[in-house]
Amino acid sequence: MGYLLDGLKSMWTTALNAIRPPFTQEFPKVLRPHPERYHTSFALLHDETGDEACTGCGACARICPSQVITVKLGKRESAITQKKRGYADDFTLDLTACLVCELCVQVCPTDAIVMLKVPELPGFRREDLVLSMPRLYENEKSKPLGWSNATKLMAMQDPKAGAAKPEPSKETAPAPAAAGAAS
Amino acid sequence: MTLFAWLSSILVAVIVLTVTAFGLWWERKLAGRMQSRLGPTIVGPIGLFQPIADLLKLVQKEPIIPQRADRALFWLAPPLTTLFALLVAALVPFGPKLAPANIDVGVPLIIALGGLALIPVWMAGWASHNKYALLGAMRAVAQSVSYGVPLVLTALVPVILAGSMNLNSIVAWQHRHHWLVVWPVFLGLPAFILFILAMLAEANRIPFDIPEAESELVAGVSTEYTGMHFGFIYLAEYVHTLVGSAVASTLFLGGWDGPFGPSVLWMVLKTCLLFSVLYWLRWSLVRLRADQLMALAWKWLVPAGLALVLLAAVWTQTPWGR
Repeated sequence: MGYLLDGLKSMWTTALNAIRPPFTQEFPKVLRPHPERYHTSFALLHDETGDEACTGCGACARICPSQVITVKLGKRESAITQKKRGYADDFTLDLTACLVCELCVQVCPTDAIVMLKVPELPGFRREDLVLSMPRLYENEKSKPLGWSNATKLMAMQDPKAGAAKPEPSKETAPAPAAAGAAS
Repeated sequence: MTLFAWLSSILVAVIVLTVTAFGLWWERKLAGRMQSRLGPTIVGPIGLFQPIADLLKLVQKEPIIPQRADRALFWLAPPLTTLFALLVAALVPFGPKLAPANIDVGVPLIIALGGLALIPVWMAGWASHNKYALLGAMRAVAQSVSYGVPLVLTALVPVILAGSMNLNSIVAWQHRHHWLVVWPVFLGLPAFILFILAMLAEANRIPFDIPEAESELVAGVSTEYTGMHFGFIYLAEYVHTLVGSAVASTLFLGGWDGPFGPSVLWMVLKTCLLFSVLYWLRWSLVRLRADQLMALAWKWLVPAGLALVLLAAVWTQTPWGR
């Protein structure tokens, strides 16, 4: 008897579902709007002088929980400011094992690495998801950058920053952010 | 056989296979909507050519035979399942004239052929040399034997009321009187529901699909099959369900009888409607355990079927049932 009643109940549910519009969408054709702080892939930035912002310090590689970042430090003279400074000779980020924790962004002393608002396209080979340095700099130019960088994220961690101020947001409900960090 | 009989049997086979192919699409679409999904959308307009794509994929697959399988039986079983399922369709009248095999023992023959469909299933399970396939086949046999009894009993109700075992005569009787689910409703409706339940069990569909219960038996009988041989077993299951709904609509829903228009249309419409209801059941209910399944058959369906047969016999002797 219980089976019969439960069966009728679930038949009622499925019948209602059949009348309702479907919840899923045709993914590649129709894209849902992302929340404002949606972040997936990565990009490396240039600083205000037009030079590469990354100093090759390797803080991101050290903090990465899944150790997917490798940075090779090189020291040479800047072509723009003529000063000797650190550079990343090579920078590789393997998205296949990335946790998307954003810790690398948070620890970057020069705000050089940020995350993107759009995902990488799926590929047919594993190498398609390994971001080399040229691809990371290409992402800076070609893809919309995410909300955060190291300065903003660290400001959120600061207890002296006081009560969180709601950041101006269109798509999502007001999320708490550190004072002065939202822009 | 006359030319007309040949032509009508070809027509019926074409109808059944076409409806089955698009039934596949319709089932996936319906299942999708019932689970708040879209269902197939990519192949053709609104995914309409999905069955054709599925067929092409199955045909391309490599046929693999397990090393210790019984090769002859292993190859023979899947086409036979489809064949026996299709054979039943020949007996179903799709119109007053469109009945390829219009014989006087239609009802028992349909049930006999349905029982015969069990043999290739057992063949497949035995020949696979696989414990899951064998267990599935054993379950299928036990289940079909148990549910054959209520199936026969409930099919006897229209036979007793119409006074004929010829399916076309039963429909003609319903055409003259009422559809059986309409009047006498206290006989027709319970018998119809019982028949549907027993038929679902015979076709091994959810909620009676313990022979291929994925969570216990991998895929039951079809575990070792690949490519088109798997396709045949899959197809047989669909044809079995479709033909079962056709038989149920013939016996209880007035078959080709409709208020207007061509009779074939009404038959196809009723069959498809019933087919959809079966899929509605399929995507709503959970699987019964093996002992629950047997308890349902022997403790409820068989006594209820016997009572219905008795009632029908009494009813024909009353002034209203004459």
